[in-house]
Amino acid sequence: MEAISHAGIVIGVLSKDGVVLAAEKKVTGKLLDMSGATGGSYGGSGEKIFLLNSNVISGVAGITADANSLVNYARQAAQRHLFSYNEDIPVELLAQRLCDLKQGYTQYGGLRPFGVSLLYAGYDPHYQFQLYHSDPSGNYSGWKATCIGANNGTATSLLKQDYKEDISVEDAIELVLKVMSKTMDSTTLGSEKLEFATLTLDASKQPKAKIYNPAEIDALLQKHGLGKKEEGDAAAPAPGDLTL
Amino acid sequence: MDISFALTGKGYVIVAADTTAARSIVKMKVDEDKIKVLSPHLLMAFSGEPGDTVQFAEYIERNIRLYQIRNTYALRPPSAASWIRRALADSLRSRRPYSVNLLVGGYDTSTHTPHLYWVDYLGTMSEVPFAAHGYGAYFALSLLDRYHDPEASLEDGLATLRRCLDEVAKRLVVTPEKYKVKVVDKDGVREVEI
Amino acid sequence: MSDRIYLGLPGLATDVTTLKEVFRYRVNMYTIKEEREIEPETFAHLVSSTLYEKRFGPYFIEPVMAGLEKTPSGAYKPFIAATDLIGCLNFAKDFVVAGTASTKLYGVAEGLWEPDLEPEDLFETCAQTLLNAVDRDAYSGWGAEVHLITKDKVIKRTLKGRMD
Repeated sequence: MEAISHAGIVIGVLSKDGVVLAAEKKVTGKLLDMSGATGGSYGGSGEKIFLLNSNVISGVAGITADANSLVNYARQAAQRHLFSYNEDIPVELLAQRLCDLKQGYTQYGGLRPFGVSLLYAGYDPHYQFQLYHSDPSGNYSGWKATCIGANNGTATSLLKQDYKEDISVEDAIELVLKVMSKTMDSTTLGSEKLEFATLTLDASKQPKAKIYNPAEIDALLQKHGLGKKEEGDAAAPAPGDLTL
Repeated sequence: MDISFALTGKGYVIVAADTTAARSIVKMKVDEDKIKVLSPHLLMAFSGEPGDTVQFAEYIERNIRLYQIRNTYALRPPSAASWIRRALADSLRSRRPYSVNLLVGGYDTSTHTPHLYWVDYLGTMSEVPFAAHGYGAYFALSLLDRYHDPEASLEDGLATLRRCLDEVAKRLVVTPEKYKVKVVDKDGVREVEI
Repeated sequence: MSDRIYLGLPGLATDVTTLKEVFRYRVNMYTIKEEREIEPETFAHLVSSTLYEKRFGPYFIEPVMAGLEKTPSGAYKPFIAATDLIGCLNFAKDFVVAGTASTKLYGVAEGLWEPDLEPEDLFETCAQTLLNAVDRDAYSGWGAEVHLITKDKVIKRTLKGRMD
């Protein structure tokens, strides 16, 4: 619980045509080697946002090592569901699977619970776009907009203020970036401190997860007038969509 | 000797099966229900080896129900059919396989579409607009090729089914005297008289 | 199976479905563990071991696969392979065939195939081989689907058979 309240903030906002996740990276610095971050079909943007299944992305806050193990568990659970039922796992069911695991560690002595809170942003035909939050005890709940990590009180009140029903995904992106820029410690936002992802539907009505790469994040920030005033447009966004 | 038919239409699936339970040359029962209601929007007609049929159908019924209890919502028809197919495919390579043929019909309440699956005892599955198992298939499939309309109203759909049943009554050596007919649509499952 | 690996599964329909689902599961699990896409040759060994697991009660399937391998220099190299129903691998340099028309396919392919064909010529060779072989086969011949896999795109063409 302590670790979570110090962790970089993760914000999720639900809209009628998509879900948006953004996270603040804590481990940064120019000596950090990010060349190992996968650009392949699985994986995430490095530290805090991961693709759990073709229809679910998640943001994590807490002990990173625990988070990695939970992400791995979730991916396997999703694949087992796909194998048994030939459908993408419903979002709530995936949240339930993880919470069953997390709850188990609160019940027996000798073992330490997972020190991780998660946000799940997903799509399924039952309830369309959804956003869930789960805590280390194994409780979970659905949200229209929520956040986890440090300063989550400030961020929540900002979200409460500015969230509107029937918000579009474009407005949700703007809202998330705005709240992010106001809650994060640093004065200017940049790809070295920020992770960003969206889940929308593609032309054939299939869920499409997009975890932004650093260049795309900087371009997005520039577009919304939140980026650093750079010396020209150095990095053009490379289209590197993360879909299964 | 079991005969079963099913066809889709505009927003519904009709499933029909004869009601005779026979042993050797003797009719033991003429009001046997061979169509299970698996969930509020899912039907399954089963036929094949006596004994296996009921045993397998009940196994499926309970497991679909268990999923619903555990996960608050029922499996959608495509997922339920895939799971049932796997159960049969796994059974095929077991010590004693189930010899059961199925027609799985359902209405998907999240996409508002009817679905019909033809499944045989080997675990072969295909999604089809209409289907039949047993001796009825020999007579009905050609009729359905000619008369089936995926956009037909329920009345027209039942009329097409009627044609199939009449043809079987006319041409098959031993004809079942009664059929049970069930319909699944947006309002759920109900039985209809034919 | 992935953007650059294709798998054909001729055989018993129930096993076609089951194996399709098994391979999808195993390839996805590989991708999760390795954090990279599976290579065609690795995939061929996955197919082989999956089939050999059922050595004494096999799936009635004889898979053929085709894909593009990544070479250390970053270029792509064509890859084809086939196995029998218990997973005995055959890495061929020229062509692989399977199915009810396999005996005829061998003959026609042997006559038409030549090394280093350009993509469109390879397509024509493949399409003519298939259509002419299934014409001599009683069990197949409604039509065919040809996927032409190149490094930047995959072209899918549907061919109509004689149906007589």
